[in-house]
Amino acid sequence: MRIRSLSLTAAAAALCLSLPSVANAQQDFSDMSWDEIVAQAQEEGEVVWYVWYFQPAYREFVQPFTEATGIEVIIPEGTHDGNFEKMLAESGRDAGDIDVIALGGSRHALFDQSEYYHGPLSEILPGGDQLTYELEGVDTNGYGVAFWGNQTGLAYNPRLVDFEDLPQTLPELEAWMEENPQWFGFNYENGGSGPSFVQSMVRNIMPEIDTTDGEVSEERLASLAPVWDWFLDRSDQFVITASNADSLTRVNDGEFAVVAAWEDHLASLQAQGEVGDHIAFYIPEWGHNGGGNLNGIPLNAQHPAAALVFLDWLTSAETQTALNQRFGVAPMHPDADDSAALVPNEMRAYSRVWTAQPFGDEIRNQFIENVALEM
Amino acid sequence: MRLRRAGLILLLLLPGLGLILVLIGSVIVMAFGQSVGYFALTGESGFSWEHWREQLDGRLLWRSFQYSAYIATTSSILSVLLAYPIAMWLRRPFRGSLFAGALLKAPLLVPGLVAAFLFINVISFHGFFNELMVWLGIIDRPIRMQNDRNGYGVIFLQVWKNMPFALLLLTGSVQAISDDVLNAARDMGAGSIARFRKVILPLTVPAMQAALVIIFIGAAGDFSFQAVAGPTQVNSMAQLMVRLKGEFGGYHEAGVVAVLLMALALFGSVALAGLTRFAVRAGMKV
Amino acid sequence: MRAGTINRILIVVLIGVCVLWLVIPFAMAILWSIVDPSQAWSYPDLFPARVSFQRWVDVWQNTALKDALVNSYTLAPSVAITTLLLATPTAYAIGRFEFPGKTAVQVLSLLPLVVPGFVIAVFMASLLLNLGLYNRFASIMLGHCVLFLPYAIRILSVSFGLVRQDLIDAARDLGASPWARFHAVYWPALKPGVLAALIIVFIQSIEEFALAFILGSPDFTTVPTILYSFLGFNFVRSNAAVVSLILVVPNVALMLVLERLLKSANPAMVSGKG
Repeated sequence: MRIRSLSLTAAAAALCLSLPSVANAQQDFSDMSWDEIVAQAQEEGEVVWYVWYFQPAYREFVQPFTEATGIEVIIPEGTHDGNFEKMLAESGRDAGDIDVIALGGSRHALFDQSEYYHGPLSEILPGGDQLTYELEGVDTNGYGVAFWGNQTGLAYNPRLVDFEDLPQTLPELEAWMEENPQWFGFNYENGGSGPSFVQSMVRNIMPEIDTTDGEVSEERLASLAPVWDWFLDRSDQFVITASNADSLTRVNDGEFAVVAAWEDHLASLQAQGEVGDHIAFYIPEWGHNGGGNLNGIPLNAQHPAAALVFLDWLTSAETQTALNQRFGVAPMHPDADDSAALVPNEMRAYSRVWTAQPFGDEIRNQFIENVALEM
Repeated sequence: MRLRRAGLILLLLLPGLGLILVLIGSVIVMAFGQSVGYFALTGESGFSWEHWREQLDGRLLWRSFQYSAYIATTSSILSVLLAYPIAMWLRRPFRGSLFAGALLKAPLLVPGLVAAFLFINVISFHGFFNELMVWLGIIDRPIRMQNDRNGYGVIFLQVWKNMPFALLLLTGSVQAISDDVLNAARDMGAGSIARFRKVILPLTVPAMQAALVIIFIGAAGDFSFQAVAGPTQVNSMAQLMVRLKGEFGGYHEAGVVAVLLMALALFGSVALAGLTRFAVRAGMKV
Repeated sequence: MRAGTINRILIVVLIGVCVLWLVIPFAMAILWSIVDPSQAWSYPDLFPARVSFQRWVDVWQNTALKDALVNSYTLAPSVAITTLLLATPTAYAIGRFEFPGKTAVQVLSLLPLVVPGFVIAVFMASLLLNLGLYNRFASIMLGHCVLFLPYAIRILSVSFGLVRQDLIDAARDLGASPWARFHAVYWPALKPGVLAALIIVFIQSIEEFALAFILGSPDFTTVPTILYSFLGFNFVRSNAAVVSLILVVPNVALMLVLERLLKSANPAMVSGKG
């Protein structure tokens, strides 16, 4: 058995030299031992990771992996939409540019991972049974592995507002906004922190809407009307910003007291000295969405073994602890230490699941039509 | 012989003009085709008005159209209005006129994105302008100016970037008017305003039209200024097109926006040029 | 005398406006680019609490700026030379021949300037996707060539128009070889135009954003696309300041060269008309 798979590897390696693309596209890792995969990974020598955010920080972060294994990690530039479109567009090619692609949890509802990715990873990775394959209400059936847990909430400037005075419930928010007009900002495009706030308002103003149901119908859209009225009644009390990053830059400038934000994004900008350390973060009791990103290995990856070894490293308890310390994210390995986050653990109870798709996206479109264009 | 010459000219035109026609032509065909359902990347390809109906039903598209038309018209007219007096001033060389011209044309060297970034730094909440006003005691708390709702920031940037271009065209045109013509007009008793209206304006109409048209088209298709400094509650046409294409892979929807954007660029600029000629003629007769 | 005084006042006013218009914005960019990462510049500090060149080092080491610079500075010269080669025959036809439909040819060659850049970018991307072409460098290069052909055609056809027929005839009568004729008669008239076209296309290609952004997406970066990513989604003001300064400085240098060229071209144009 062992000998057979070894010879298979040799045959695969030989094929790799002559026809790399075809061999890789058809390579099946379920027959190989982990040592064989590692050996092939060393041969491959590099892995190209398409991750759509924090690329400069990641280039630094992956250095220990390269030092330990000799495998070079190449992180190209690219946006979430751009990378996703590239992955789909390239899937018809024999050899793609992407070895590992990171995508947000809900993005996986748009395609069938088993048709695009190597896997299931849960059966190939050594500690695969301990890892998470489902985020934001979308199950990848073991083909996409979670490596990054993130949380939306509100970032605030303690020089302008004390923690005790921050709104925690819908009535408190209404009162606070009235007392402090234009001190609250959120975005509706270029990032999910604002849309998460809008979804929270949907949940709180219209509790009867089932947010685990992704169906879009005229009737369901019409039932959102009270939410849009709520926003329109307060249109002189909040400000729409250009992006996640714009919100954080402006709360740092002292223009806003409170903005919708991502916990990991704030932590990262603070680590870069872009936003002051005094800016703090909390999850209000009314609940904000949490989710994360998963990695998959496209079938036409040119360095699939190196990709597997890289994912094994990235999802390990040590690396997840390091990610928590560097970016303040929620670890995706059960043994990792999560003490470095921006919020205390008991606050995580207010984390909510994103509204199911496509209804979630439709909420944002409706917000544009019914609130943004009316302002 | 004549045939051979015609053949030679066609052959010469092929690599330059031919390439332009093939590529731009296919791009336009692509935009039209995708807007009515052809060239689908996924799913079925075939004629359908569905994407038009869907886009025309929503208000997003019309708001974007109006907004882009407004930005393009205002920016092109303001740039030309501002450029005229400066072009007149620089008509005759004087000590320092070269220096003044160079200073005024400097924004031509600054790429649009850089200009937008510099501008945001000056007007942001924590920016130079606010700091200065607070420091002088004119205001207590900084004013919010970024991403203003009327797009004044975008218009300012368009004028900043395009006025030098209008100036370039107008200076050339104004300088080409010979002193004899102006002197003759003066001898006939025309005052400086009448001279401007009846001699200079009509003689510089082509340059003015060229400036208006090019600035209009550029501003109608603007993406970078809008993305960085524009109002957040409305999209420009280019921004909407990129968003539709990017977020949902909606090339058909983007096609609808593209066709309307091309129509805006074409008809808007032609109308503007026509109106200018009409206004100048009317001005001559008064 | 009076006019002189007014001019002097106007120049002083102009300099004042330009300080607001140019000096302050650039000074702010320089200031932002030297904010030390260890301490953010936040409200209500009037100046950065700590300054250093650490940002420049960070941007150089950890962002894709190096790749972007390599991409931009391989793309631009390739585009400039290819555009020049593509434009020359058309410019020659326009500059040296009279033929029916010449005005139409001149107007049609302006087409890339009339169609909004993002329309060209998005639907060229769609065209390439439909054709199954993936090479981003080649795509952007082709797009840039077409986009900037109008400038090259226009400049070169003026230059070709300046070549004096009597000199060509004289050279031929004297039995000069084609190369000698080109060298003695064509080249002196063409040289400023050729150089000006090269520089203008080069600068335009370096600055161009729409095609580079859409066709290069997601991973082929040029200097403007990387600047956009620092201005938009991943807004990092200090990094944007560094990249802005890197983008502007070579431009200014090139434009100064261009200015000199155009000045040296002027006498040729005058004598050409005479």
